[in-house]
Amino acid sequence: MTLSDETRTAIERLVARFPERRSALLPALKLAQREAGYLPPETIAETANLVGVPHAAALEVAMFYTMLHTRPGPATRVVVCAQLPCALMGAEALIRELRGALESESIEVERTSECFGACHRAPMARVGDMYYENLDAQGRQVLIAELRAA
Amino acid sequence: MTLATNVDFERVLLPHPGRSEPLNLKEYRAEGGYAGWQKALTSMTADQVIEEVKASGLRGRGGAGFPTGTKWSFIPKAPGAKYVAVNADESEPGTFKDRELMEVEPHRVLEGIALCCYAIGAETAFIYIRGEYVCAADRLEAAIAEAEAAGVLGQGCHGTSVNVTIIVFRGAGAYICGEETALLESLEGKRPMPRSRPPFPAVEGLYRRPTVINNVETLANVPSIIARGSDWYNTIGIPPRNTGPKIFCLSGRVNRPGNYELPLGAATIRQLIDDYGQGVIGGRAVKGVLTAGVSAPILTADKLDTKLDYDSVQAAGSMLGSASLIVLDEGTCMVRAAALMEEFFRHESCGKCTPCREGTSWLFEILTRIETGRGMESDLDLLLSLSGEVAGKVLCALGDFATSPVVATVKQYREEYEQHIKEGRCPFDPW
Repeated sequence: MTLSDETRTAIERLVARFPERRSALLPALKLAQREAGYLPPETIAETANLVGVPHAAALEVAMFYTMLHTRPGPATRVVVCAQLPCALMGAEALIRELRGALESESIEVERTSECFGACHRAPMARVGDMYYENLDAQGRQVLIAELRAA
Repeated sequence: MTLATNVDFERVLLPHPGRSEPLNLKEYRAEGGYAGWQKALTSMTADQVIEEVKASGLRGRGGAGFPTGTKWSFIPKAPGAKYVAVNADESEPGTFKDRELMEVEPHRVLEGIALCCYAIGAETAFIYIRGEYVCAADRLEAAIAEAEAAGVLGQGCHGTSVNVTIIVFRGAGAYICGEETALLESLEGKRPMPRSRPPFPAVEGLYRRPTVINNVETLANVPSIIARGSDWYNTIGIPPRNTGPKIFCLSGRVNRPGNYELPLGAATIRQLIDDYGQGVIGGRAVKGVLTAGVSAPILTADKLDTKLDYDSVQAAGSMLGSASLIVLDEGTCMVRAAALMEEFFRHESCGKCTPCREGTSWLFEILTRIETGRGMESDLDLLLSLSGEVAGKVLCALGDFATSPVVATVKQYREEYEQHIKEGRCPFDPW
């Protein structure tokens, strides 16, 4: 078993919430991912068992979404939107600057073409659940300092 | 500051521009919130609610513009479970209106959902919200708890026998979940790949039961329609096909990007950019404007006097869609812009239909080679013919959307493509 008792209980509660058990699969995988920061095969299998779906069904869901990870990754992911509205406001320069200042074994600066709905505060970056918006020169320095300190 | 004073208009959806904190139940009620819900519960039948929404002329604000009341009327009257699925998967580049609605006006969204449930006879609604919108999802859940504790939502709403349970369902990063049948697949714990239709969701939707899927902004319009009536709603905008307020998301090369709520058809693209967005950065000229994020053809600068309503934008050659306006100025390389947009579709294609899965990759590759100076004369015809092999030959609209950036830019900015190919380099400064 890889999942903690707390996570198992939380998944069981989720399953009871939906008219059909399988609806709990995606939120259950998100919960399970919190344990190790990614979803190793045994965690996916265990989650599938709790929800009551075949292991392959859980794996194919886990592999589809950008917020679910089936391989271990860096401790911190800085995800920068490089889609058109952000690109027009200097997203590529932001990525270069963050990579130069931050990239190490534990911090990865990821460029994505996905839009995060912060186009009016471009350019932006996501770190975990947090949005860092309006990343002008001053904003970048604050973000870099925060991440270095963490 | 001359912000948003040009059109004399009482804001309906976002009455507090600039506010970032959510209105709590007490504040929302003090402004007339949940009056529509109480009115429906105490003095209207479900059919009367549907008729009122039909009479308002409200059209879907997620992009397609389908009449909302008509959509609700498709739900069979036979007993049995029915569902409401709220499309809060806002992921179209340039779109950030539902985010602000959920973050600042969560109760307005919930009231609209409750009214939709009542109208179609559903007891359960799911808000499918994109996984990245953590703040909005948390605020919705807090608002649901608040409304349930006050007896407004939940079991026995306002002391009646009507039950409405609203569940926030968080996605995990996939644009395709904004496609309504992919959204249902995701909610059912499957890979979010669009279903073939028929059957349509109104007949067989979530768990094979009749289901209404509405966008957040669409539902946020409903409380005022019920509380104040369709006659009042028809005084906003241009009846009968372009009624009501609309939130316009303005981004790109403008001085003051943001959400601007205006009546449909009240402003032109130029007015939105100049009067609300305070003009283009550096006073430069506009080269083109996208009106529906990256999913509809770009409009050239000679179309700036187009009015911002469904019919006018369509007549100009594009779509209003979700009203996400991205402004590109004269320094913007259109080939690079097209490549970026195509990169998005390549990333977001779910892979179910071969023409879309393969086509988006090839379109992106060809655009990239032109942008990096390796293009060939034959590439322009190749881009157009390849686009023709994708659009209309796939299960959902993503394939059609994916060809828009290519076809529109090749046709309208062809000389830029030719210059790239002829000179073997991008003639613009990098941005």
